[in-house]
Amino acid sequence: MIGGVFIYNHKGEVLISRVYRDDIGRNAVDAFRVNVIHARQQSRFPVVNIARTSFFYTKRSNIWLCAVAKQNINAAMVFEFLNKMIDIMQSYFGKISEENVKNNFVLIYELLDEILDFGYPQNSDTGVLKTFITQQGVRPITREEQTNVTSAVTGQIGWRREGIKYRRNELFLDVIESVNLLMSQQGQVLSTHVAGRVVMKSYLSGMPECKFGINDKITVENRTKNQLDSTNSTNNNNPTNSTTTTTTTKTAIAIDDCQFHQCVKLSKFESEHSISFIPPDGEFELMRYRTTKDISLPFRVIPLVREIGRTKMEVKVVVKSNFKPTLIGQKIEIRIPTPPNTCDVQLLCMKGKAKHKSSENAIVWKMKRMGGMKESQLSAEIELLPNDKKKWNRPPISMNFEVPFAPSGFKVRYLKVFEHKLNYSDSETIKWVRYIGKSGLYETRC
Amino acid sequence: MRNMRGDAMRGLAVFISDIRNCKSREAELRRINKELTNIRQRFRADKTLDGYQKKKYVCKLLFIFLLGHDIDFGYMEAVNLLSSNKYTEKQIGYLFISVIMNSSTEMKQLIIQNIRNDIQSRNPIFINLALQCVANIGDKEMATAFTHEIPRLLTSGDTIDPVKQSAALCLLRLHRTSPESLQLNTEWTARIIHLLNDQHLGVATAAVSLIDALVKRSPDEYKGCVNLAVSRLSRIVTSSYTDFQDYTYYFVPAPWLCVKLLRLLQNYPPPDDPSVRSRLNECLDTILNKAQEPLKSKKVQHSNARNAVLFEAINLIIHMDCESSLLVRACNQLGQFLQNRETNLRYLALESMCLLATSEFSHEAVKKHQETVINALKSERDVSVRQRAVDLLYAMCDRSNAEDIVQEMLTYLETADYTIREEMVLKIAILSEKYAVDYKWYLDIMLKLIRIAGDFVSEEVWYRVIQVVVNRSDVQSYAAKIAFEALQAPACHENMIKVAGYILGEYGNLIALDLRSTPMIQFDLLHSKYHLCSPTTRSLLLSTYMKFINLFPEIKQHIQDVLRHDSNYRSSDVEIQQRAIEYLRLSEICSPTVLATVLEIMPPYPEKQSPLLVRLKQKKPLMEAENNSEPSVTTTTTHTEDVPKFAETAIHLNQQQQQQQQQNGLLVSFDTIESNTHFGESTSYSLPSTITTTETTIQSSKKFLFKNSDIIFENDLLQIGIKGEATKHILRVEFYYGNKTNFNLTNISTNITLLDELESELRLNLEPIKPTIDPKAQIKQSGTIECLQEFRDLPKINFSFL
Repeated sequence: MIGGVFIYNHKGEVLISRVYRDDIGRNAVDAFRVNVIHARQQSRFPVVNIARTSFFYTKRSNIWLCAVAKQNINAAMVFEFLNKMIDIMQSYFGKISEENVKNNFVLIYELLDEILDFGYPQNSDTGVLKTFITQQGVRPITREEQTNVTSAVTGQIGWRREGIKYRRNELFLDVIESVNLLMSQQGQVLSTHVAGRVVMKSYLSGMPECKFGINDKITVENRTKNQLDSTNSTNNNNPTNSTTTTTTTKTAIAIDDCQFHQCVKLSKFESEHSISFIPPDGEFELMRYRTTKDISLPFRVIPLVREIGRTKMEVKVVVKSNFKPTLIGQKIEIRIPTPPNTCDVQLLCMKGKAKHKSSENAIVWKMKRMGGMKESQLSAEIELLPNDKKKWNRPPISMNFEVPFAPSGFKVRYLKVFEHKLNYSDSETIKWVRYIGKSGLYETRC
Repeated sequence: MRNMRGDAMRGLAVFISDIRNCKSREAELRRINKELTNIRQRFRADKTLDGYQKKKYVCKLLFIFLLGHDIDFGYMEAVNLLSSNKYTEKQIGYLFISVIMNSSTEMKQLIIQNIRNDIQSRNPIFINLALQCVANIGDKEMATAFTHEIPRLLTSGDTIDPVKQSAALCLLRLHRTSPESLQLNTEWTARIIHLLNDQHLGVATAAVSLIDALVKRSPDEYKGCVNLAVSRLSRIVTSSYTDFQDYTYYFVPAPWLCVKLLRLLQNYPPPDDPSVRSRLNECLDTILNKAQEPLKSKKVQHSNARNAVLFEAINLIIHMDCESSLLVRACNQLGQFLQNRETNLRYLALESMCLLATSEFSHEAVKKHQETVINALKSERDVSVRQRAVDLLYAMCDRSNAEDIVQEMLTYLETADYTIREEMVLKIAILSEKYAVDYKWYLDIMLKLIRIAGDFVSEEVWYRVIQVVVNRSDVQSYAAKIAFEALQAPACHENMIKVAGYILGEYGNLIALDLRSTPMIQFDLLHSKYHLCSPTTRSLLLSTYMKFINLFPEIKQHIQDVLRHDSNYRSSDVEIQQRAIEYLRLSEICSPTVLATVLEIMPPYPEKQSPLLVRLKQKKPLMEAENNSEPSVTTTTTHTEDVPKFAETAIHLNQQQQQQQQQNGLLVSFDTIESNTHFGESTSYSLPSTITTTETTIQSSKKFLFKNSDIIFENDLLQIGIKGEATKHILRVEFYYGNKTNFNLTNISTNITLLDELESELRLNLEPIKPTIDPKAQIKQSGTIECLQEFRDLPKINFSFL
């Protein structure tokens, strides 16, 4: 039961303050400011307990979002709520900044009234919210719309209203993955995992039912078994189908855990391992998943650090791209930390631009794009000021990139749309699938 | 900061404004990192920087350090700045090392070398900078390094006054931080003392502080300063304020120097030389006179400065404690301050008066202000001032005014602050006892005290009341009477019940003939309060009841009923239960004569120092210093533990449950056996002592109720004695067999037999004895008897010999 929600700017001034419960006093706002925002030591914990009141907070571009609770509540729920709130605000007015929050404070209060009731989270679906909280100002709502809104909020399928019609039935699927890696100096993988999301943007008429197929190991095995059964029983064998199954069997991936949007029928997933759902209108996150096995690492960083005496250091970094030559990686940025007693850095790189950023104590090497199976090198000479106090503990080299494939091997096998009433067939809908692999915490020790 | 305009550090200003404009902590950190890299680039070994740049970057580093970031380089550059010839650069260098002192030794040697160069330089500004730095960061090493340089500066003729001033203060600072490593040659002593005569008042002021510290270290070496200090003081005091241009503070000539000189003089006894002494008295007289003059300015600074000198003078007068006229004048002056509007002044006046009251010369003078002080107590708004007033009243009290003062304090006690109540209670108790002419008055006061502030009456206070009553037979009946009357009040404080319970238990018979206080009424009155009391009070009351059985046999039955009542006899409190059981048995078994012996009136307590004074001193360590003049107070022979002991003996029968080591007799020992093994009945207190050799007298085993050693058998030939000491359920016994005859007893054997159940109830462990006893000699047999269960029968000793 969230007692209240506060939004502060970077100075700790309160932009939004909404209190839902009486157990949160006026001084709670100040307590958070004094103990967290203005704290002498920067707080590293997402939850702070001050005077028996819990403060859950996140920071987005100089804006602090803080939920307060006096009771013992589910912290994960609170953070889910805070993130959802950020999503909602972003979809309403774009980037979250002090300016935007100030300009839209009436809207934010309106949203806060709707998505939290006496501290209990309510429907926070952006699409639904947008039907009755608009930025156009007050306009008379027709009776029909009113019933629509009511049924949308109270009905069984709360995320989709009836009577949606599009001339072109179209849907977009984005598979967005972020790769996390920690590699040792010698190139040994210490830990790695991929966190992926499937985001769907649907512009479909009526109440379509969708079926979504992926190359998950369990589903694929089920299917091949079924297929084999069917091939055995009937000789009517579809050659294309069988080839697809065999190819997918090879690349089936093991998903460690996944979670779905509320529209997915979980009972069906449990029993048949099929993902079927009636999608909300517009953009939503269909599923989230995590894998740890058989990850193809798009880049490999090979560092070479030599300390020459007390005043000099040589660093050589080689980056190898490890994917099909036809693909191109983008937005590549390698960050090489430098010791705190650095006084000067000489850089030489074959490709892209490299710069020593003294404010961050790092060399930043940027490349706009890089093809598959290529290799590039940077060498740096670092001059140091002799310092016998502490030894430098060599933080890892980190990397950012974007590649047009899914490093986990995740594949969308099909997405079928059935709409019985309106009678448009699966083949009439236009479907787009896109894979994006991004870097999460992609680090190599040096 | 001259020359500053020429080279204002623009880069520094820009950097600072950048930092101030940072929106977040991260941004600030980024800016600092960038700047640090920049500075590092500049400070690289192969680059040459001019003084200005060095200064600028060192300043930046200093600023970053002050923002709370770690600085691990740039020390070298800062130390280089020290050797610069420009004032601003040198100053920044000194500032840096004073703020960020690096502990590395090589750096420190370098710094010390640089400071030494500056101290030896001819430029007084540089010398001063160096001295300031030493004063700020001076430690052991520096103290040893400059132990010659600084005194030389201080005493040489050609140093200018400001440098001397700094040198004196620097030396003082070093002396404070590491007195042991600062070695001052004796040849400098005279010169340092002579600084008191310096033309320049600033030098003199600085020197007095130094000398004051040195005097505390070695008073004899610096004895010569007294004369100089007196003459300097008289020169200041007698001159007009127009004589010291710079050192006159709001029409008061050199107040700081005066105060310091007066304080310096307080380190020594009054000067022996009559001329010096008269001169000093003159000075003090003048200061007192000046206080009478009208104020020259309405500003508060003027009066503050004047009063500061005056108070210090009064302190000196009190310290010398020999000029009665001065003391009386000081007292009168303070009396005037008592009515001043300034709260601080009143506070100080009361405090000084407290000291004056202890001096024999001024005691009478202080007493004149009794009325004012009592008024202060009543009307003062500041609690600390009221506290001082209480202290003063306590100090000025003597036989003549005790009655009034105690009365006033009692009245005030009702409205006093909670923080000072306990202390006041102690003070009232002490005063009323110390100056009591009539002990009836004392008792009245004490009972009133308990009634008014029962919560603040500590144990010692009421113990003391009882001690006084027990020791003075003339007030005992009066005590019983007023205690009885006090008890009749509807709401009694527990301390009152304790006192009344004890007194009635002892002396209730003295008022029993009065129809209003017959034994039954006394008992009923006490017992009506019984259920409201804490266990300790209840156990005390049980003892009182027991004493009543002795005093008034007619209500014995009644009391036995009370003892037998479940709430006592089966009380969950061990102490109460034990008392109830033992008293009940005692009253049942013993004859009236035995009871009368057991429950005799308490003998007088040995007169010792009143524990109240000890208690008061504990409460207020400050008082100690003040009380030192009273010889009776300073002794620390008594411990506070004495008091609980009194109480225990007063209660007379076993408190021993808690204090095993204090067991008085076998009765008690066996008792503890009983209670430890948890048997309700406590009948057989008797020790096995039947003897079966020849026809003998069987000694009454009951005598072991009261003793833990006795002769259990004696005839013409033989004497058998026993000594026992019990710890919990184990009795350690020693049998002594004495041969009364003139020839050897041989073939001796002893055998203790345990009949029937006794076997399972007692366990014997005795060492064997020698078979012969020499004529007129004694042998010892020791062993232990362990009590396993309650027992009724007695073990038997068989003793045989030839």
